[in-house]
Amino acid sequence: MIDTPLTLSDFPKAILHIDGDAFFASCEQSLEPKLKGRPVVTGKERNIVASMSYEAKQRGVTRGMALQEVRKLCPDVVVLPSDYETYSLLSKRFFDIVRRYTSAVEEYSIDECFADITGLQRPHRMSYSEIAKRIQTELDRDLGTSFSVGLGPTKVLAKVASKWNKPSGLTVIPGNYAHRYLAKLPLEKIWGIGPQTTAYLEKEGLRTALDFARRSEEWVKKKLTKPHLEIWFELRGESVLPVVTEEKTDYQSISKMKTFRPSSSDKAFIFAQLSRNIENACIKARRYQLAAREVICFLRTQNFEHHGVELTFSRKTALPNEIVNSLKEHYERLYRPGQIYRATGVILTKLEQDVIRQLDIFDAVLRVERMRKLFAGVDALDRRFGKHTVTLGSSLAADHHNDQLRERGDSAKRKTILFKGENERQRLAIPFMGEVG
Amino acid sequence: MTSSGQSKILSYYKNHRRMPSFSEIMTLCGYKSKNAAHRLVQRMIKAGLVEKDASGRILPKNLWGPIPVIGTVEAGWPSPAEEELVDTMSLDAYLIRNKEASFIMKVKGNSMKDAGIFPGDMVIVERGRDPKDGDIVIAEVDREWTMKYFRKRSGKIYLDPANEQYSKIIPKEELKVAAVVRAVIRRY
Repeated sequence: MIDTPLTLSDFPKAILHIDGDAFFASCEQSLEPKLKGRPVVTGKERNIVASMSYEAKQRGVTRGMALQEVRKLCPDVVVLPSDYETYSLLSKRFFDIVRRYTSAVEEYSIDECFADITGLQRPHRMSYSEIAKRIQTELDRDLGTSFSVGLGPTKVLAKVASKWNKPSGLTVIPGNYAHRYLAKLPLEKIWGIGPQTTAYLEKEGLRTALDFARRSEEWVKKKLTKPHLEIWFELRGESVLPVVTEEKTDYQSISKMKTFRPSSSDKAFIFAQLSRNIENACIKARRYQLAAREVICFLRTQNFEHHGVELTFSRKTALPNEIVNSLKEHYERLYRPGQIYRATGVILTKLEQDVIRQLDIFDAVLRVERMRKLFAGVDALDRRFGKHTVTLGSSLAADHHNDQLRERGDSAKRKTILFKGENERQRLAIPFMGEVG
Repeated sequence: MTSSGQSKILSYYKNHRRMPSFSEIMTLCGYKSKNAAHRLVQRMIKAGLVEKDASGRILPKNLWGPIPVIGTVEAGWPSPAEEELVDTMSLDAYLIRNKEASFIMKVKGNSMKDAGIFPGDMVIVERGRDPKDGDIVIAEVDREWTMKYFRKRSGKIYLDPANEQYSKIIPKEELKVAAVVRAVIRRY
C-alpha cells in the first residue's frame, strides 16, 4: 500500500513550473559584482524586506521583516531600493526565453511561470527533462540569475517539483513516482491549500500530501470544495488545471497601495498619497477599458491597523477627479488627527467594461464624455512623456515627497545614472548592468 | 514607364543637387506637353517622394525612403514596392543579436580610448558568450566590472587595455568574463 503509485503513467502531460530564486535580490546581484555572495535585501523605500538573497535568508531574514530588525540580525546586509523597472524588464525576458521552447507559457507572477511542453520531445529532439534542463541553462546564461525548475504531469506537481530543491534545482516528478514525493510533503506546502484547510485536514487525521491524495474522490467532494478537488486530481497526476496563455485583461478588482517613508500624520500629505493611488488605479483601469462602481480607500496605521471608506457611484467611473472629489468629505471622518500612518491604498471594485449603455436623466452625459476625452488625452501625453506628466493637483504633495526621497538615495541606481537623451521618467527598455571602466 | 520618368528626375536631382523645373522635366522625359510633366509630378507627390512649395516649384521630400540594405544604388532606385522593404532592418535588430541576453552599460574612464570607446558612451553587451581572442569583454576583476580586450596567447589569457597608460591584467585565478561587447553607441 505504502509504495503503490497513484497513477501508472509518467507524463500524460508535461508541465514545467519555473521559479526565480530570490528573484529581485538575485537580479541585483547579477548586475553588480560587489553584491555577489553577500546578504542583499530589497525594499529600502518601504522600510521592510521585499526580497532577500539566499545569503540573507540563511541568516534568518524573512519577507516583510522590518529593516531595523534585519540590520540587527545581519549587520553587513546591503539594503537596496526596489528597482521594479529592471525587474520587470528581466521578467519579460525570462518569459521570452521559455517561449523559445513552447508558446504555451502562463506568466503566473513576475518571477514564476508555467509552461506546457507536452508532445515537444520530437520537434526538439530532446526528452522532457532535457528540455527543462536546457531552458534552465539558457535562463542562467542569458540573464545571469538562477531559476528552479520543476517538471510534472500537472501544474500542482510541477510546483511541488520546483520547490523541492531550491536554488538552482531541477526536479522531475513523473506521475508514477509522485507518491514518493508527496509522502514527504506536509499539507500546508501544497499550492492552494491554506492554513485553514490544513488545520481542518489535520483534524481529519491527515499529515502529508499523500494522505490527502489517497482519500477517495467521494470523501474529498463531501468534505471540501471544488478547488480542493482540482488539487486532489492534480496531485494524483491527472491534469485538470490548464496552462493559461492569454494575457490577463479582465480584472475583478484593481488595487494600488503605497507605503511612504517616514510614516506621517500630515493630513494633506496623506490625502495626496491617496489621490496618487487613485490616479494610478484609474490609469490601469482605463488601459483595460474598465470602470468601477465601487471604490474602497483605506489608510494603514503604523501598527498595521486599517481604516477605510467605501464609495459607491451611481455611474461607473475610471476618472480620478470624480473619485477624489467624492472622497473629500469622507476623508474628514477617515483621517484621525495624531494618528501616524504608513501607507494608503485604493481598490476599484465592481469593474465593468467602460462603455456607456444608456443615458441617465440626471447625468449630463455630454459632460462625462468630455471628461473621458480629456483623460484619453492625458493618457496619450503620459505615454509619450512619461507617467504623471499630467496629474491632479491633489497628488502633487506626494510627488514632492518622492523628490526628497530621491535625494536621500532611496531611488534605484538606474534612475540616477542616465544616458544622454534619457530622463528621469523615460529610459531605454534594456536592463542596465551598471558602469564599467 | 512612370518609374523611368521618376528615375530620370531622381538622377537629375543627384547630378544637379536641385529638382528640375517642369520644362526641364519635359526635356528629360521627352514629353510634348507640360501637362504630362505635371501628371508625373502629381504621381510622385502622391507617392510621398516630392512636394511643391508655395510658388509651385518642386521640392524633394522623401526621395529615397528607408535606406535599403540590399541592392546597389545604380541597380535599385527605391521602388515603392512593399516587398523591397522586407529586406530592411531596424536599428535595434542591427545592434542587438540575442535580445534576451543583451544589456547596456555606461562607460567611465579612459582605458579603452584607443578602441574608440570614451567616458559616457553606451555599450551593448551580450551575456553568456564564450569570448574569442580580440573581443572586447566585460570581466569581473576585484568585484568590479572592467572592460578590456580579451587576449589569448599560447593558452594564456589576459585582459588588454586600449590605452598605454594602463597595464595588462593577468588573472591569478580563473578569469570571470560576464559578457562580450557587441556595439558602442554615442549620441551627440
